[in-house]
Amino acid sequence: MKQLTPLILTVSVPPHRHSGVTVRNRMFKLLLAMTPAAIMAVLFFGMPAARVMALSMATAVFTELICDKFMERDSDIHDLNAFVVGLSLAFLLPASAPWWLVVTGSAASIIVGKMMFGPLGGSPFCAPLVGWAICRISWPEFMDIDATMLSIDLSYPLARLQNFGLASVGNTDLFSLLLGKQLGGLGAVQILGVLLGGIYLVVRKHVHYLIPAGVILGVLLTSGLLCMVDPTNNASPLFHLLTGSTLFGAFFLATDMPSSPNREIPMLLFGLLAGVLIIIIRTYGIYPDGVPFAILLANLFTPIFDRIRPEPFGKR
Amino acid sequence: MNSYKHTDIQQTDLFLQHQCSLVACGQGVKRGERVAISLLPGKGDIHSPVGGKVSYVDAYRITIVAENNDVVAPVNLDGLPGDDLKRKLLELGGDIPDADSVSTVIINGVDADTDVLTRQHMLTSSSGTLERGLAAITVLYTPRETVLATLPGIQLSLPEVLRSIISDQYPAGLDPMVVKAVTGKESPEDTVIIGLETVYHLGRIMETGLPVLDTILTVNGRGKTVPIGMPVGELLRLEGDHVLDQDRIVLGGVMRGTAAVMVSQGVDRTVSAVSIVRNPTPVAMDAACVGCGECVRRCPARLDPAMLTNYAEFGMYDKAAKEHVNACFECGLCGYFCIARRPMLQYIRLAKNELAVAQRQIEEVVTS
Ligand code: SF4
Ligand code: SF4
Repeated sequence: MKQLTPLILTVSVPPHRHSGVTVRNRMFKLLLAMTPAAIMAVLFFGMPAARVMALSMATAVFTELICDKFMERDSDIHDLNAFVVGLSLAFLLPASAPWWLVVTGSAASIIVGKMMFGPLGGSPFCAPLVGWAICRISWPEFMDIDATMLSIDLSYPLARLQNFGLASVGNTDLFSLLLGKQLGGLGAVQILGVLLGGIYLVVRKHVHYLIPAGVILGVLLTSGLLCMVDPTNNASPLFHLLTGSTLFGAFFLATDMPSSPNREIPMLLFGLLAGVLIIIIRTYGIYPDGVPFAILLANLFTPIFDRIRPEPFGKR
Repeated sequence: MNSYKHTDIQQTDLFLQHQCSLVACGQGVKRGERVAISLLPGKGDIHSPVGGKVSYVDAYRITIVAENNDVVAPVNLDGLPGDDLKRKLLELGGDIPDADSVSTVIINGVDADTDVLTRQHMLTSSSGTLERGLAAITVLYTPRETVLATLPGIQLSLPEVLRSIISDQYPAGLDPMVVKAVTGKESPEDTVIIGLETVYHLGRIMETGLPVLDTILTVNGRGKTVPIGMPVGELLRLEGDHVLDQDRIVLGGVMRGTAAVMVSQGVDRTVSAVSIVRNPTPVAMDAACVGCGECVRRCPARLDPAMLTNYAEFGMYDKAAKEHVNACFECGLCGYFCIARRPMLQYIRLAKNELAVAQRQIEEVVTS
């Protein structure tokens, strides 16, 4: 009788094949999509921008490692999420941000925005925005983009709109906005780069198109409406779309995985809400660029939006 | 070689899941002798694929060593009325889904998984057997109509059945999806869906009067007739494939199939394909959900697999039941797309199983 060779078989659960898209892979694609804007930032702001980005990413990574150590769990640092959080935060900071601000913001993003809620996926907020908000509220004078950038010959259109009214930005050339010729978060204002990366993410389905579409639609509709009601005091929809971090928020922050809804209709509503809030904060609030707070507020509504769901298959 | 014989089996391990063994160690059995009875309604019993001796029995496995060619005597099934026929067919290893007052019987002739072509092969190679099986089904269910669902472009000559063409895009070929495509309704009450291999097995019983002793499955990209109980390792060896240490032998398609636990495991009548998968690492890992929502958007049953698996992971099965875990038809897509590579289907099956066990216990208490 023929003896079957004793072998150890791998026993595992179906499916026995995987799409190949993993967390690390997705985070890598996000970093890739942020690269054009990062390069533009260095071209426009020089070494200070590179310094802020590098410092922010390094701090994020080290903070996560230290947290893992304290929480006694295996580190997931290899999933690259800390790099994404660090770089996203840097994108929102002025290139002139002092080192301690960058370090505090980045560490706070990781600790309060991510690790406090356990492994990746637990946080109800988009992590870099948490760090950004803490810095914005604690040290407004350093986060204030106009004051810190007096040495550079660019203007911060959103702050001018807020302080000096529509007339002061009336002749802003939309094309130069596109090229990043504005002050603001160092990466977020590299509109062309952000747009390039965002479109790449949407086309490759790394983010669902409905969230950015919702945000952009929300911004355009609300600002268009305000513009129609009172054209002398409100800026054009296109101005709002191309200034500050609107597009960066739409493609990279609002689409943050755990803090945004999962189904189509909730995603669209979530995006719309964020878009509407951006304009409301910009028009009536004290913050010139409403994007981070708008998205944080929208994050709060994610569980509510997620309740809009279809009946399961075959339920009568 | 297009078919293998029972003489290719020297020893086989029959795995029991919801069956109860009828044999003892050392007992001699004939080929076709019943060795385990099914505990689930509508599922047929298990028979020895060879004449020989039982060398090992426990709650999960019966090992039989081939010794002789003794076969059980065939049973005459002609002209039996529905109920008697059903009982006999279940005893002979036919699967007959429980259903009363059926108006539509749908025969699922679609190989849902892209790398399986078993049903396709049956349709083109075994129309005679299928006709016998269909005749039995007509007696069993007396349906108003019988619809055969197939992939496009398949020629066949089965009289008296309506055809319905199903897309080859996974998961269109899974039973609930096919029912919806044919009837336009999701889980209609008066419809029963039967896999084509079941029709084939019933046809074989009707032809031979013997229990189900062979099946058709896909191996190496071709449909082959294989005796039930053929050890998977032996089948692959005869096919010229070398099973290496740490390989996975997948029984069924890669999306839904189970992994064989040993090379001597015999194929049973539900196995639609046998293949070796050599991934460097296991597909799934013990990881937390990162909330990407891929599974939610891909689930054809419109469930929230992320939520279901989180509940299952922490033993909150009642919550999983409220989230309709039982509406899941185990397509495996959630696990295929999960970027955290969670063992999604495993968690879902765990929850379903725990709920079923709890339900059975409640029923036992209520009836006693
Ligand atoms: S296996 Fe997953 S994707 Fe498929 S029906 Fe079940 S929950 Fe939905
Ligand atoms: S696909 Fe995986 S990681 Fe993404 S939501 Fe579903 S369970 Fe979570």
